[in-house]
Amino acid sequence: ALLSRPAGGLRARRGLAAGPEMHFGFQTVTEEERREKIYQVFESVAKKYDLMNDSMTLGIHRVWKDILMHKMNPSPGTLLLDVAGGTGDIAFRFINYVRSVRECQLQRKLKHHQNLSWQEIFESYQKDKSNSLGDSQVVVCDINREMLKVGKQKAQHLGYSEGLSWVLGNAEELPFDNDKFDVYTIAFGIRNVTRIDLALQEAYRVLKPGGRFLCLEFSHVSNRLLSRLYDLYSFQVIPVLGEVIAGDWKSYQYLVESIRRFPPQEELKAMIEDVGFFKVDYENLNFGIVAIHSGFKL
Amino acid sequence: VRCQQYPPLRALQASAALRRASDEHKKEPLTSSSQQHFDSPPAGHQPEQEPQGPRPSYTGHGGQESEDYESEEQLQHRILTAALEFVPEHGWTAEAIAEGAKTLGLSVAAAGMFHSDGSELILHFVSECNARLSELLEKEQKLVQLGEAEKKPIDEFLRHAVEARLRMLIPYIEKWPQALSVLLLPRNIPSSLNLLTSMIDDIWHYAGDQSTDFNWYTRRAVLTGIYNTTELVMMQDSSPDFEDTWRFLENRVADAMAMSNTASQVQSTGEAVVQGLMGAAVTVSN
Repeated sequence: ALLSRPAGGLRARRGLAAGPEMHFGFQTVTEEERREKIYQVFESVAKKYDLMNDSMTLGIHRVWKDILMHKMNPSPGTLLLDVAGGTGDIAFRFINYVRSVRECQLQRKLKHHQNLSWQEIFESYQKDKSNSLGDSQVVVCDINREMLKVGKQKAQHLGYSEGLSWVLGNAEELPFDNDKFDVYTIAFGIRNVTRIDLALQEAYRVLKPGGRFLCLEFSHVSNRLLSRLYDLYSFQVIPVLGEVIAGDWKSYQYLVESIRRFPPQEELKAMIEDVGFFKVDYENLNFGIVAIHSGFKL
Repeated sequence: VRCQQYPPLRALQASAALRRASDEHKKEPLTSSSQQHFDSPPAGHQPEQEPQGPRPSYTGHGGQESEDYESEEQLQHRILTAALEFVPEHGWTAEAIAEGAKTLGLSVAAAGMFHSDGSELILHFVSECNARLSELLEKEQKLVQLGEAEKKPIDEFLRHAVEARLRMLIPYIEKWPQALSVLLLPRNIPSSLNLLTSMIDDIWHYAGDQSTDFNWYTRRAVLTGIYNTTELVMMQDSSPDFEDTWRFLENRVADAMAMSNTASQVQSTGEAVVQGLMGAAVTVSN
């Protein structure tokens, strides 16, 4: 049953803990309870997370993540922090992207090296061969041990080892120094953060000057017809899929409700600007079902 | 006056802190740079409309505002200027912009502020070249006014101006064809056309063209044609110091001068014809 929004809902909606009341989907809970409940949600769905993503979004989530990577357009040598990156989707895409860019770079360099001696060519070839990622690195940070476990297993299974590290951490209090990373991404994770403003502040802190903040998240559909179809699909189909595939109705009910509770595009943009990011903008995908927000630390 | 998109004009803190750290580093090479980074308070002028967010406020450093205030546009200009150095190696691409950002101490991700096909970099370069051309022509005009140099005849002036402007392409000549193709993308045509026409207008202005009749359009079109064709010839020219290109330019300008004589003849003939027709019309109506 859908509860009516509680009175404290407006402040809670912005992720600011004005009081001990917060939202968990459409329920009202305290901050601590919310963190715990969300931890339990992801603990229970971790193993079936990827499968559920595919069935809920009919595989379109892969396209969304690809678009995010293209928007980022990372060059070799980029240091990426993927927060709430659990099962590693963004991290693996990053590694693939950077690897192919690096290959193009090396090919171009080879064309320029037409008049080097054999010895010089051999030496540069060795150096470049061992550096297939061009010093790029990605750190996957997640608050949930189960999700990280699934991610590490996937990495092993798919053969990703170089340039990848896994860190247990809370988006509201990252275990990293200031001014470290070139890009900070949070894909489908910021919705589950209890204090969004703190997460945004931490993002600002750990980014280098000139660094980029990218957030991929479910957002609000403005088209009314589409919005109704989307609601129908969300509330009638998704929890059922959750029960059938993952054996967990409640977690997917939470998922759908949390999407409705999340601030819309303009509000999130304002929150990002408040923290100090510049050139903040968003791009709607699929009419606003998903949005990519981007900001720079200048 | 350009209107900013976001009403509160906030100073860029991170890049400003970087610049101040590097400026102070230049003044006092003995002190360690990391110490300076912490000592120098980040410059920032927070207008009163800023919401009382969790961010610490930097009000109180009022005296330093004017020196360190830099808008996003200015920072973007600095990045693009720094990126030009890397164009011969990387082409007009996001990679060149990323390298440029690195030299300013910014993250390579700052290149994400610009389009990935390098449009802004090319447009920036073109507008910088046009500005340099204007300065050059302005200086020469002053010399003529002061009587220290002779006023050039028009064909020589045009040749000189076009050659000076095209010579600015020489360091980037290998990658210029790529730039031209990007400038022709539908998205960029308004801006590139704008830059081209204002440059041509500038040259005619300094050439002493004050006319406001229909001749203005033809002269603009003629010079644009000369400039574009010469540019294309330059792309394929392998002669020493592009002498083939300058000879081509000389011939085209000579053609244009000859054509303008023909044009004025045609014009007077045309006027005569029109007068004849008007007379006939009046006769018929009466």
